[in-house]
Amino acid sequence: MATQHSRAAARTMISPAVILLLGWMLIPLGLTIYFSFLRYNLLMPGANPFVGFENYAYFFTDPAFWPAVINTLLLVGGVLLITIVGGVLLALLLDQPIWGRGIVRILVIAPFFVMPTVSALVWKNMFFHPVNGLFGQLAKGLGFEPFDFLAQAPLASIILIVSWQWLPFATLILLTALQSLDSEQLEAAEMDGAGALSRFRHIALPHLARAITVVILIQTIFLLSVFAEILVTTNGGPGNASTNLTYLIYAQSLLQFDVGLGSAGGVFAILLANIVAFFLMRMIGKNLDL
Amino acid sequence: MARAVTTNRKVVSTVFGWAIAILIFFPILWTILTSFKTEAEAIASPPSFLVFDWTLENYSTVQERSDYFLHFMNSVILSLGSTVLGLLIAIPAAWSMAFVPAKRTKDVLMWMLSTKMLPPVGVLVPIYLIFRDIGLLDTRLGLVIVLTLINLPIIIWMLFTYFREIPGDILEAARMDGASLRDEIIHVLTPMAVPGIASTLLLNVILAWNEAFWTLNLTAANAAPLTAFIASYSSPEGLFYAKLSAASTMAIAPILILGWFSQKQLVRGLTFGAVK
Repeated sequence: MATQHSRAAARTMISPAVILLLGWMLIPLGLTIYFSFLRYNLLMPGANPFVGFENYAYFFTDPAFWPAVINTLLLVGGVLLITIVGGVLLALLLDQPIWGRGIVRILVIAPFFVMPTVSALVWKNMFFHPVNGLFGQLAKGLGFEPFDFLAQAPLASIILIVSWQWLPFATLILLTALQSLDSEQLEAAEMDGAGALSRFRHIALPHLARAITVVILIQTIFLLSVFAEILVTTNGGPGNASTNLTYLIYAQSLLQFDVGLGSAGGVFAILLANIVAFFLMRMIGKNLDL
Repeated sequence: MARAVTTNRKVVSTVFGWAIAILIFFPILWTILTSFKTEAEAIASPPSFLVFDWTLENYSTVQERSDYFLHFMNSVILSLGSTVLGLLIAIPAAWSMAFVPAKRTKDVLMWMLSTKMLPPVGVLVPIYLIFRDIGLLDTRLGLVIVLTLINLPIIIWMLFTYFREIPGDILEAARMDGASLRDEIIHVLTPMAVPGIASTLLLNVILAWNEAFWTLNLTAANAAPLTAFIASYSSPEGLFYAKLSAASTMAIAPILILGWFSQKQLVRGLTFGAVK
C-alpha cells in the first residue's frame, strides 16, 4: 500500500524529529567527551591543554568519589526496595473492593504530581525540622529527644522523601498490571483451596514480575539523576554524607567550575545509565511488535 | 453467608485503604492547611489541625514579596511552550511511523527513546557553556528548547502508540467512498487522533511543569519557573512555614488537578507500552 511517494513523504515528516534528537544527543555528548580530556577550569581562563586521562584519574581518586558511588547505590536501592514492596502491597490493597476507591486512588497518586523542590522543602521544614517540624513535635510530645533528621540521617531522610514521590508511580503501574490478571484463574485456584498467600505467590507475583522489572528499570534511570531533593535539603552534606554522583558532578562543574573534571564525571554517569538503559530498552523492544 | 464475608472484607479493605491513602496524602494536606494559618500558628506546639483562624494573608504576602505571578507565568510558558513545540515536531513523525512503517521504524523508535536515557548531568557542562556563550542562560526561550528536546522522545512514543490504534481499514473505506487525502486527514484521521494528542499534551505539561534539573541549573531571576522559585525558599525564608506552604500550594495545585485526569496516560506515557 505504501507507495514510493508516501515513503518519501514519511521520511520528510520524520526528519525534523530525527535531526533535532540527533543534534541534542551528539553535540553535548561529543563536547562532554572532548572537555573531559582538557584541563579546563572556568576560574582559570587561558589555554585549555589536552591532558589525556588526567581528569578521569582525578575523578576516580577524588575522596568524594567512593562515598558518592555508595550513596548513589543506597539511594537507588533504598528507594527501589521501599517503592516496590510498598507498591505491590498497595496495588493489592487498591485492587480490593473499597468504598470510594476512586478517591483513595487519587490520594495515593497525588505525591507523584508534586514538584521535587516542593516535596523536598515541605519534608525538610514541616516534618524533619527538629524543633518546629511535625516529627520533632511528635517526639517532644511523647517525651523523646528531638532528632535532627537531615543532620543525623541525611541520606535516609532523602530516601524517605524520594520514596514518597515514587511510591505512587510504582503503585499505579503495578495496579494496572494486576488488573489485567485473569480473575477466572484466581477463582479456580481459590476453588482448589489455594490460600490467599499461595494465590499471591503462584499467580499474582509471576504475573507482576514483568511490571516489577519495568518499574525497577524506569525508576533506576530517574533515581540515578536525583538532584533537586539533595540541593534543596542538604546540599550534599553534612560533608559528603548525602552527595550522590549527580550532585558530585554538578558541584565539580558549576560550583568549582572545573569543566574538565565535571565532564569526566559526566562520561562516567552516562556509561552507568547506559548499563540500565540497555536492559530497559531490550524489554521495551520485545514488547513492540512492528 | 458468602455475602456477609464479602461485605466484611470490603469493610476491612476500605478502612485500610482510606487509612493508608490519607497517610500518603498527609504531607500535601498539611501543606494546604498550613498555608491558611498565621506564621505563629504554623509552628504552634502542639500543632493545630483544623481549629485555627483561617487566613488568606499568606497568599497575598507571597505575591507581594516575591513576584510569584512572574514565576507562575514562566512555568505556564515553559510547560505549554515546550509541549506545543514538541507536538508540532512529534505529530508528523509519529504519524508517519504509525501509518507508513518502514523496515527501520522500530530501530528509529528505540533510538529516540534511548536519547531519553541520557543522564542530564552527563551533558550539563556543554549545555551550560553553550547557553552562556549564545546568551540563552536564564531565558524562557532557552528552557523551552531544552524541555522540548528532553521530552520529545516521550511525546513521539506516546503519540505513536495512540496513532497505531487507529485502524487503517477506515482510511481505505474513506478512500473507496472517494475521499481525497485532504478529506481523509481532516474528517477521518484528525477526529480519531485528537484524544491521543490531548492525553499526550496533558502528560507532557505535567512533566515539564515539574522538571527540576535544567530549570534549576539554567535559570536565575528572570526565567525561573516555580520549581526554581520554590527552591529559593530553602533558606532562610523556609522558616516562614505559612508562606512556604502558600507558595507550595499554589505551585502544585494546577498540576495536582491536571494529574488526576491523567492517571491512565501516566502508565502509557512512562512505561512506553511495556506495561498494559
